Amino acid sequence: MYQNQPSRGQRMTQPPRMLSTKDCAYLTDALSWELLAAKKAHTFAMQCSDVQVKNQLEQIGQLHQTHYDILLNHLNSGKSDQQYYGNQYNQ
Amino acid sequence: MHNQGGQYGSYQQRYSGSQSQTIKNPSTQVSKGTEMSDRDRLNDILSTEKYLTSSFNTFVLETSNKNLFNDVLHILNETHHAARDVFNLMFEKGWYTLKQEQPQQIAKEYQKFSGYESQFVGHNHNQHQNQFSTGQDYYPRDY
Repeated sequence: MYQNQPSRGQRMTQPPRMLSTKDCAYLTDALSWELLAAKKAHTFAMQCSDVQVKNQLEQIGQLHQTHYDILLNHLNSGKSDQQYYGNQYNQ
Repeated sequence: MHNQGGQYGSYQQRYSGSQSQTIKNPSTQVSKGTEMSDRDRLNDILSTEKYLTSSFNTFVLETSNKNLFNDVLHILNETHHAARDVFNLMFEKGWYTLKQEQPQQIAKEYQKFSGYESQFVGHNHNQHQNQFSTGQDYYPRDY
């Protein structure tokens, strides 16, 4: 069993680098949502006759695939604490 | 992301019933048969994006690890923009109709809610000069 208690007198201001059981459960749920969304967008894009609609659906399918990979990375042990997106809010 | 150019054609603005103005583009025709049309497909994807934004909102609120929080918040944001792009395309195609609210009605609500300003602690009558000056503590930031 993992024990990660701070020594006496120290306090964690934020959770340490790890995944909670809840994080893990949400990640696997979210991966399924993204996979389905990507498949649906790609399938719909192939069925479309309107070029604008087709392009929009392809772009969205691509977005969900990117999101899938970002989420998957959080389950990859060793890399799971790495953030994909930069600290763009600090700029 | 969304570069459909600026050719929205002429807006169809007409009066219906009272004086409410209808704002919509001429509709792009799609088949009305039993099979799904391009319009149906776009609508279905919009529903999917709406579902995803609510789901990711719940997810981001419950993340522990800060890097996971930042990534999930970013995914939530991009999903909102995807939904917006779909909405914009549907509007451009003339598949969305908006009705403009009556200016008198808006003015009435403005009066009513301006009156409620007195209920805030530290309310002062010069509110309009600095009404958006607070809130910096909650600007988007990296944790």
